[in-house]
Amino acid sequence: MSNTPIDADLTRSAHGRIAKERLYHGLLFACAALTVLVTVSIIATLAIDAVDFFQRVAPVAFFTGTEWVLRSENPILGILPLVSATLVVTIVSALVAIPIGTAAAVYLSEYASDRMRSVLKPALEILAGIPTVVYGFFALVYLTPWLQQIGLDLSLFNLLSASIMVGIMIIPMVSSISEDAMSAVPDSLRQAGYGLGATKFEVSTKIVLPASISGIFSSYILALSRAIGETMIVVVAGGSRARMFDPSNPLANLFNSGQTMTAAMVQAVTTDLSGGTAGYYSMFAIGLTLFAITFTMNLLSNRIAARYREEYQ
Amino acid sequence: MATADESTGAWFGADGQVSQVRGLLFKAACLGATLLALFLVFVFLAYVATDAIEPLTADPAWWGAVAVTVLLPALGLAGYYYRYDPPAGEVAYTALGLPIAATLLAGGVGIVFRHIVSPHGWLALVVATAVAAGAIALHDRRRDAGALERAAVVTVVPLLALVGVPGLVPSLRELILSAPVLPMASLSLLGTFAAPIAAAVGWRIRRVRKSDRAGVIAGGATVVVAALGLVAAPLVGLSATSWIVLTTVVAVPVGLYVEQVLRRGDGVSGLAFPVAIAIGVAVCAAVVGVADLSGPTVWLDWEFLTTAHNRTPREAGIYPALVGSVMMIIVVAVAAFPVGVGAAIYLEEYAPTEGLPGSIVELIEINVANLAGVPSVVYGLLGLALFVNTAGLRPGIVVVGGLTVGLLILPIVIVSAQEAIQAVPDSQRQAAYGMGATRWQTVRTVVLPRAMPGILTGTILALGRAIGETAPLLMVGVAAVVRISPNSFFSLFSAMPRQIFAWARLAKPEFYHGVLAAGVLVLLVVLLMMNGTAILLRNKYQRHE
Repeated sequence: MSNTPIDADLTRSAHGRIAKERLYHGLLFACAALTVLVTVSIIATLAIDAVDFFQRVAPVAFFTGTEWVLRSENPILGILPLVSATLVVTIVSALVAIPIGTAAAVYLSEYASDRMRSVLKPALEILAGIPTVVYGFFALVYLTPWLQQIGLDLSLFNLLSASIMVGIMIIPMVSSISEDAMSAVPDSLRQAGYGLGATKFEVSTKIVLPASISGIFSSYILALSRAIGETMIVVVAGGSRARMFDPSNPLANLFNSGQTMTAAMVQAVTTDLSGGTAGYYSMFAIGLTLFAITFTMNLLSNRIAARYREEYQ
Repeated sequence: MATADESTGAWFGADGQVSQVRGLLFKAACLGATLLALFLVFVFLAYVATDAIEPLTADPAWWGAVAVTVLLPALGLAGYYYRYDPPAGEVAYTALGLPIAATLLAGGVGIVFRHIVSPHGWLALVVATAVAAGAIALHDRRRDAGALERAAVVTVVPLLALVGVPGLVPSLRELILSAPVLPMASLSLLGTFAAPIAAAVGWRIRRVRKSDRAGVIAGGATVVVAALGLVAAPLVGLSATSWIVLTTVVAVPVGLYVEQVLRRGDGVSGLAFPVAIAIGVAVCAAVVGVADLSGPTVWLDWEFLTTAHNRTPREAGIYPALVGSVMMIIVVAVAAFPVGVGAAIYLEEYAPTEGLPGSIVELIEINVANLAGVPSVVYGLLGLALFVNTAGLRPGIVVVGGLTVGLLILPIVIVSAQEAIQAVPDSQRQAAYGMGATRWQTVRTVVLPRAMPGILTGTILALGRAIGETAPLLMVGVAAVVRISPNSFFSLFSAMPRQIFAWARLAKPEFYHGVLAAGVLVLLVVLLMMNGTAILLRNKYQRHE
């Protein structure tokens, strides 16, 4: 411990000491209160500018429009193409991340030896540390040409490789949270399974997985929320042409460029739109929608995760 | 956590007759999935490295020389450690990685002294801070003052020392800077940068060796080596400043590590690994020079690191973006670390847990967890609205970018600091209270020292995230390309990921497979080093718990 004599303060008037304690208490409380302030200001700034936006564009037209053309004069602003592209990215990335992430979690929690785990876990964590703009670069420069080589009819910018990359990016999130949930399953449950003559496979799939299902689920929701809010991968590799989802030809949506909600926000701010136009304010409306979606999903995931924590503590 | 007893699995679980095939297939599938994800990304990394270094353009003989002089001895030693001396293996990798990480850090410090604060500015800053701290301590000792007077002293003295009253009273810092005679730049750096580090080294050695003499020797040696730079640096072609930074930032941690390994006496032979590689590199350079072999035409070379962006791919560099990233990280750390740790301390140590206030605190905690999941692009919008549209700051300056990213990592810092503080056993707090310590004294002297490694780990990981963030920078209007490095926290800047994104928009093959790859490699090296350091730190302290 430090060498500061603690009795130094005891000889002082109690008055000063109490005041000092109050001061620190207040300062630390201010730090914690700042987080609430951040949330409030996110909501306030987004809402104020979104209101500004909805005075120019009718909310009904915005939420039901199927065409998105961003330009300084007479923009056509309907959010559905952006929503549909975001959904496509989320679904495809979930198809990539959920099986791989869950399997990795099962392996790490049930099968891996200590030595194996001490290598694989940090390696997966390092995946989580790669910046998303780098993942976008991987998708654009390496993954798309690979996919083209195996015979897919992809354009240079396409949603398929962007979504695959988003999927790879969120694997560590699925695997680490799911693994935590599986590790939290008490060993007595496993022993009971073995005592009944179950194999390791049966214990993993019929005891551990069901017992930790709420934790696993919450990891899925969290990962999906991350996929919805992911920006740089889709901006770099997905292109910037907003396209409405065409149910008659789903593959065309994947193989061509598309624009997600986040990508549209980036486009609104990086192209030369002047400050006051509806196109510029549209990003606040999209941002508010995005914030609402992801915040709800995170809240949901917290709630579900809280359930399994209570059960086994 | 698998079963508590592995043999149970073997007895009842992996029984051949029941379902060996299915179980094995399942296990293989799980392992395969894990490896697939890792494998894919490592393949991408290999591609990036290949594009940035272009190994095929080198003479085959050049590669032969490298293999014989550097790779073979390194592989041999690594094999030896793996087979016969695992502790030495760990020492070997740390001893190799530490100088590299320290050199990167030294680069960052060098950038700070070159662009942000001149050696004289640093001198003035340190002296003014020391005087202010001394004045506050003296006042605290001599006068049993009331709370109001003390609060006044604590705010006024540092203000006078560092900021002054604009237009009326110059600060102590400005007074020092305008003094007619200032020591030479290198001397002031020696006195105010190297000397404190030397004092810290001496203090640490004195503590771990329990000998005053060893402490004095270690501290003195540090000063002497740094001071040698005044004479020796010009001979090696370095400036005295670079010498002082290199010796203090690189030599000190390496020296401390070597001392620690020698003192513990475990795995000492691991220290041979970096030495062998260094000798191998030297021999290789000599051989290549004599035989006149041509190496690969790398994109990622010294030129790339020290020049600005250019339309010609071969001339393009990343230097201003590097400087911008360093400056932004300073703002992020200064903004997010104290607030984050303060909030975590409040939530863990002070916050009420019962009644209405308790449920409000619970709401705050849920809110923090949720903020960590808000998309970064939304934080960019927040920064734009808050700092640019409301506070009226110019878009695209360092402070705006840094504060925006600081808000983004704040929840991550809070959550990890909370975990670290939770891990401090309650008995220690009770012991402190039992001795009559106040709550703040307990936090300052008992909780924080124990939790600091964990807090630092979390903060390094969060700062790693901050370096790689791009979307918020786009939203607050950070410039794609800056040709002149920023020289204050209020000038326009670009950052490494922003620069990479700008290059990704230039659809030329040389940019995609050369410049862009080199930039990505620089960013990744910095990040992997930071994350690796954090993970090592965590593993070390987890084992010691």
